[in-house]
Amino acid sequence: MNQTEIYNEVVALIKPFAKNEEAFLKVSSESKILEDLGVNSARLVDIVLDFEEKFDIEVEDEAADNIRTIGDAVKLINAKIS
Amino acid sequence: MPKSVDLRKSDILFLEVQRLVGRCLLLVLGLFVRFMVKNYYRISVEDQARLQNEYRVLIAGAKGPLILCPNHLTMVDSVIHAIFLNSIQGYFFNYASLPWSVPEHTKFYRKWHWRLVCYLGKCIPVLRNGPPEESRRTLAKMRYVLRRGDILSIFPEGRRSRTGKVDTKDFSYATGQLLKLEESPEVICLYVRGKKFGGFADFPNRNEEFHFSMEKIKLHSEFKGMKRARDYSSQIIQKLHTMEDEYFANTVSRQ
Repeated sequence: MNQTEIYNEVVALIKPFAKNEEAFLKVSSESKILEDLGVNSARLVDIVLDFEEKFDIEVEDEAADNIRTIGDAVKLINAKIS
Repeated sequence: MPKSVDLRKSDILFLEVQRLVGRCLLLVLGLFVRFMVKNYYRISVEDQARLQNEYRVLIAGAKGPLILCPNHLTMVDSVIHAIFLNSIQGYFFNYASLPWSVPEHTKFYRKWHWRLVCYLGKCIPVLRNGPPEESRRTLAKMRYVLRRGDILSIFPEGRRSRTGKVDTKDFSYATGQLLKLEESPEVICLYVRGKKFGGFADFPNRNEEFHFSMEKIKLHSEFKGMKRARDYSSQIIQKLHTMEDEYFANTVSRQ
């Protein structure tokens, strides 16, 4: 799975939790998941658990804490699966 | 002194001094707050003697860290719980039974008198969506007071209920994040309902009479990591939801 495929999967997994639909239309690697997309911090845990299930990986608490942007998530997942 | 949980010495000292100062001024602050709640606002609870006895029994039987998990109705819930769960004398002789609270920093630490009440009333401020290092430090403070044998109160929903009913859909996993770090954690689920109150509010109504019910649960989970945190939080929310259903079933059957 390449970076673009991971990016598309990540965006698709975040979409149901994003409250700011306008910001989501302009989503990019730099988009901040909580601040820009309006995802509730509690739901960020659900998103990370979805990453674990989708990509068959395990994300440690500290690594999850460091996910701020879509790009951070893609980078983390890419490092875990490669 | 209990074993440190990755906490700076200065943080431990700060918590210990806060605890000591709070205990020394408990009678002054406690009697003033009790007067305001019971006499000025005329807030009461049904069957207070039974409630306080039940609370004493539940905390006496705890074998490890004990967390109080109430549903969240108003901004002053923790004050209401503290006033009715034990007497001021009871807290003085068993200061560990006065639960630590975790108010949101930006809301509760803006005004000096609120800060003072929070300091004397055993509060650990929490910065919502703060940097991870700050969240870890706050978590370590919570674990410290638990290891010390004190009770900690956390609202498992993570925010006040917008409907007045337990939010079983959009709740936080913060309580689970803390509990997953403890072995065999015990939780007192506290269901509170104002008989006049029906929804989202900053403060309870004057002359309000509250219903309190409590149940202690031991949490178990087959999961690890964040899944365990979610599982624990879900178990607590589910218990509170069941207690709410029981309350309404009893209320309807009494009418």
